[in-house]
Amino acid sequence: MDDRRQRFEAQALPHLDAAYNLARWLSRSPADADDIVQDAMLRAFRAFDGFRGGDIKAWLLTIVRNCWLSAGKATKRRGHTPLDDQELVAEGDPEHSAIQQGTRRRLDALVAALPEEFREVLILREMEDMSYREIAEITGTPIGTVMSRLARARALLRETAKDCL
Amino acid sequence: MSCEQSLITQSYLDGELRDEQAQAAERHLENCLACQEQAANTADLSDALRKLARYPAPELLRHKLTKQLDLETRRSPAGIFWMGAASGGGFSALAAGFALFLLLPPSAATLSQSVVEAHTAALTGGKTIMVASSNHHTVKPWLAAHAGISPPVVDFADQGFALTGGRTDEVAGRRAAVAVYAHGKHEVDLFTWPDRGAALPEPGMARGFRTAFWKAGDLDYAAVSDMDAAAFQKFVALAKTRRE
Repeated sequence: MDDRRQRFEAQALPHLDAAYNLARWLSRSPADADDIVQDAMLRAFRAFDGFRGGDIKAWLLTIVRNCWLSAGKATKRRGHTPLDDQELVAEGDPEHSAIQQGTRRRLDALVAALPEEFREVLILREMEDMSYREIAEITGTPIGTVMSRLARARALLRETAKDCL
Repeated sequence: MSCEQSLITQSYLDGELRDEQAQAAERHLENCLACQEQAANTADLSDALRKLARYPAPELLRHKLTKQLDLETRRSPAGIFWMGAASGGGFSALAAGFALFLLLPPSAATLSQSVVEAHTAALTGGKTIMVASSNHHTVKPWLAAHAGISPPVVDFADQGFALTGGRTDEVAGRRAAVAVYAHGKHEVDLFTWPDRGAALPEPGMARGFRTAFWKAGDLDYAAVSDMDAAAFQKFVALAKTRRE
């Protein structure tokens, strides 16, 4: 295996879950997320020689978001596909799992229903642990905008998801 | 109830503040009920989201990605070489060394392995055909334009091997033209590349695929397929004696 491939696999592939999670939340469809991530990882591999240090996760997520944007221009977006059982990662105590899954489905639907600009900052901050600066880079918006969108996203979700929290 | 400092509190809660800024935000939080409520709400929301809602990448996607990277990796050395040659970098010591390496005829074992790898990579990547046509008047010029090789292309549909299209590929690091035929559910790839004086492998079997090699004029040929022996021999015989 060549050196570039090895470096790519060692550095980029550990972030495949993050890439998929972002694509899945942006596109709200497993099939689209699959296409977006394949496209993004291939583009990343081809451009990998041009990647000079920095945070590789943020770099990859930027590419994922760009691929999502260009896919969205090419095809009319589908509606949200809710979590199916296969996608639910079984966790915790079985007695509570039915309740947990019900809660998870509802919360999932509520996050998916957030407008795009709020949804993406929330996913990047809460699930991918990106800093404000990184979110600003990935989404191409000023930090001040990231902060206000994040506050708005949290307020909106708290309002709609009161009984899930 | 909302405090005008709520964005600063949020930054503090998200771990964005350092030193004096963080200390100032902490002091404010101790005394502001609105911000305390915000902190509690943010923590609840954060917990719920982190526990409940991350989608892991499906195994199938990982698998597809590995295959795609295999294809990319396999194609890249020649791509780099041709780019170097085209930009005049072909005169650099590195590219010259690489060119010399490529000019040496590949060994028989390398050739066998290389055509079977190309065939299986095309099958698993679902990219056996780049130009789909049963008409040799379409396939031949496409191969000439894209592979720079213009092999005779003949449809053997009457004999049970229908021409389905063509693609460009690589054999031992060199560009090859591939004509693709269908025999029932089986596929045959007929590779063609410029002869470099290499000794060609004997007919054989690797990873479940039959291979046969021959020379004709200034071109080398290889047929690769998972067909049974009789059908494969029939195809090779047809391909060797083809007339356009």
